[in-house]
Amino acid sequence: MTTESAPAGGDARRLLSDVRSLAHRVRRDQRATWIALLILCVATLAAIPFDYYFLVAHCTPVGDGATCTFNRRGFLFYWPPALLLSYAAIAVCYVRIARQRGLGARVLPYAITGAALTVLFTAAWVGIRLYLSHYGTPADPLPSWYLLLDRLVAPAGTIGVALLVLARLERNAALLAFTLGYLAVVLVPIDFGWGRNWDIHTTFLPQQIIDGAVLLAGAIGFALSGRRQR
Amino acid sequence: MTAPNAGPPTAAGPDVHPVLGLDDVVHQRVRLGILTIAHEARRVEFGYLRSQLELTAGNLSKHLTVLETAGLIAVEKGYAGKRGRTWITLTAAGTAALGREISRLKALIDRVELTPDGL
Repeated sequence: MTTESAPAGGDARRLLSDVRSLAHRVRRDQRATWIALLILCVATLAAIPFDYYFLVAHCTPVGDGATCTFNRRGFLFYWPPALLLSYAAIAVCYVRIARQRGLGARVLPYAITGAALTVLFTAAWVGIRLYLSHYGTPADPLPSWYLLLDRLVAPAGTIGVALLVLARLERNAALLAFTLGYLAVVLVPIDFGWGRNWDIHTTFLPQQIIDGAVLLAGAIGFALSGRRQR
Repeated sequence: MTAPNAGPPTAAGPDVHPVLGLDDVVHQRVRLGILTIAHEARRVEFGYLRSQLELTAGNLSKHLTVLETAGLIAVEKGYAGKRGRTWITLTAAGTAALGREISRLKALIDRVELTPDGL
């Protein structure tokens, strides 16, 4: 062991370890994940009346049942402005919370990505519908790739993709795990058999409630975890 | 943390021991901590630095003055309501200095680990 290198290496290792620990603490103190999830939950649940009142369904009797086509016009009235407002609100809240804690915020890229995805995915959603109205929908039952793509470009999918960006920005493994779970729920819907005999206008209600409930559970979980850490 | 804009390892070349390239202004636990927090936070308030680095106001002020004089940070004073607040941001030179310091610390560790007998 040389008298020079060992203390220098030990000192360097300790300094680097301090640097990593401080950077980790700052990133943790900058997070306000719960507020982002809460705002997106409110936006999701507030969409329900729009979807209910602006849903146009055309049903054709087939055997004992019926085949229905749905036009969710409320999507276009509600979601683009609602998502843009949500991202603006998230950015403002993040900046305020970080400032109260004595820090700058790193949320702007998330808000910009969210807004850009909203515009892009809305255009894709409209484009797919225009294409289908011109060339006809694929034969029933709809292929799984079509359903997956349709759900991904829908607002709930857009929210999930943007949350992946937030998880990356915050280097937040817990948010990444939550978002993957949320996307699984959005892309492979479950409804527990609810609403089978309900009004045709409530067809999408179970999924909307589940999406909102997942976001709310995430908001509560992250709020409690953040409070415990501080 | 990632090394921000890491410059060349040392001005003297790869054969020179990394210790010789360390900047005395940055190679100090508290000042390195200030630069790290300011880099990660984009902008940090005096009180946050004081609590995280567990320093007295006077001691922290001295370190901030050294960094400000070296052009590594910018200090901005303002008000939040009636309370005075001091915000610290990293300058471009500060970001580069932090990157160089981290690169040199890593090089130093590598050098120590590559030394025969595991030293």
